[in-house]
Amino acid sequence: MTGTVPSTGVPAPPAREPRGRRRRVPLRTPHRAARPGARLGGPLTALPWALPAFAFVGVLLVYPFLRSVYGSFFEDNGFTSSYTGLDNYTRLADDPIFGRSLLNTLMWVAGTLLLPVLAGLVIALATHRLRWGGVAQLVIVLPFAISGTATAALWYFMLTSDGAVNQALRAVGLDSWAQLWLLEWPQNTLALIVASTWQATGLNVVLFAIGLRAIPRDTVEAARLDGANGWRMVRYITLPQLRAVTVVVVGMAIVNSLKAFDMIWILTQGGPSRSSETLALTMYRETFRLFHVGYGSAIALVLSVVVVASSWLYLSRQMPDTGWAKA
Amino acid sequence: MGRMGRHVFVAGCVALWLLPLYLLVVNALTPVAEYEGKPGWTFQGFALVDNVRTAWDEAGIGDSFQASLLYAVVCGLVAVLVAAMAAFAVVVLPIPRPAFWFWLIYSGTLFPLQVFLAPLFGLYADANLYDTRLGLMLVYVAWAVPFAFFLIRNQMTTMPPELTEAALIDGASFIRVFWSVHVPLMRSGLGAAFLFQFTAVWNDLLLGLTLSRSGDVQPVMASLATLRATYASSGPPVILAGALVVSVPTLLLFLVFRGLFLRGMAASVR
Repeated sequence: MTGTVPSTGVPAPPAREPRGRRRRVPLRTPHRAARPGARLGGPLTALPWALPAFAFVGVLLVYPFLRSVYGSFFEDNGFTSSYTGLDNYTRLADDPIFGRSLLNTLMWVAGTLLLPVLAGLVIALATHRLRWGGVAQLVIVLPFAISGTATAALWYFMLTSDGAVNQALRAVGLDSWAQLWLLEWPQNTLALIVASTWQATGLNVVLFAIGLRAIPRDTVEAARLDGANGWRMVRYITLPQLRAVTVVVVGMAIVNSLKAFDMIWILTQGGPSRSSETLALTMYRETFRLFHVGYGSAIALVLSVVVVASSWLYLSRQMPDTGWAKA
Repeated sequence: MGRMGRHVFVAGCVALWLLPLYLLVVNALTPVAEYEGKPGWTFQGFALVDNVRTAWDEAGIGDSFQASLLYAVVCGLVAVLVAAMAAFAVVVLPIPRPAFWFWLIYSGTLFPLQVFLAPLFGLYADANLYDTRLGLMLVYVAWAVPFAFFLIRNQMTTMPPELTEAALIDGASFIRVFWSVHVPLMRSGLGAAFLFQFTAVWNDLLLGLTLSRSGDVQPVMASLATLRATYASSGPPVILAGALVVSVPTLLLFLVFRGLFLRGMAASVR
């Protein structure tokens, strides 16, 4: 989701059943012998069904991706291009903006892992089996239904120098806490992370709540009889039972934080003087504002490698039995 | 946490989450003339209609709103259909190397959007698709297919194979098996996939910003971004009214179909 969620891709484990046990119905049933060949046809009968999806994804996603890889070896300003080998990549290593951008990206990953996941877990635990817990969850999940762009427009209004946050801080006598939130690094990046936490936490609350409801009552009862309560119950019963959900939530958080774009673009445009740029922003600015197309492709590629590698590493370690590691 | 502590904590969180929404509503209602250059905390008047009209007409949110509605509905539907067909091929039909097809289509969700942008821009310029509704619709479908495919495939694997088998024995063609057995039985799964993709397309900023320019093509989030840039100093109430308006469709869908959303979500957790 894009930005957000679902804005977009959720790297949940795709194949639950081990390979080979997938149900390819007609091939394996005894009835096949009763109706020799005719209806099932050859293996090619299935192709027309997969072809539209393949055409869309192949032409508009896979081909551009390969083209991007290829383009990253060229110096390209949108009009002329010349082969420069790995120059774009060595330039990256020296570019101070790339360094800052990488640091900001890491802050985003760390921040959006810590805040929305922890907050989501704690709020889900606190609202579980609370009489008005459902209402509270609904309120907290509302921002999730609002787009990142609209959320960002709202938070801009809260974070500008005489915005609502500073007003509130001054009103309660914390004048010294009031800041130029969006104008100085690192608090601009931190403020953006808080804003995206406000939006993203609700989804995690819902996911954790689903996980909590799925814990068998017997397990809880048994633990209670054994004298587990409060913190011990959470630590030794609830958290282990939530493991499957946590894997997905964390996996999603990693990918989404790396891709974060609309929140930053609307709130600061990566500024001032590119101090709050992440890799996603740097790539956009290099390609479409400065017309360094080849250089932008190199950044995009580094970003993809980071996204795919981190979700791969994380998921294949967390769920070794689901085919992620083998696939 | 004691019982009391839990109530207090939850109440605090609810307040923290409601406060920005409250400010959004209050200030979207403030007449532009009354706006004092900084956020108001109390109701200053009721000018929502005026503010929305300003954003809708003068800033061109209206045109984009219609364009986005078209993109989200059509692309959502097409993507779900295409994805369902692909899932049918991979799960039910005897396609060679189903894992290969799965990863090929699913790979679309793994990569960040940025990696497709520059080549897409070039491709679109060459094919005269830049800044056209058709161009945006094509790319939105392509972008929506992988995740819809993932959701639908997961659900299709839970369908008992005997159903397909029985239908085939009764002499049904694949087309009939698909439309008369799988589609009706998977209604809620397909619905959830449509909701997710509608929301994703509606909320997209990056593709719209990159591949379109004119008002009647540009999707609504890109227009909101432009609105924010042009009205930055003069009228936060207008911007917030715009933000409120563009959030209405997804908010409504979410509130009405919450169950379906959550079931879709749960399906992706499992």
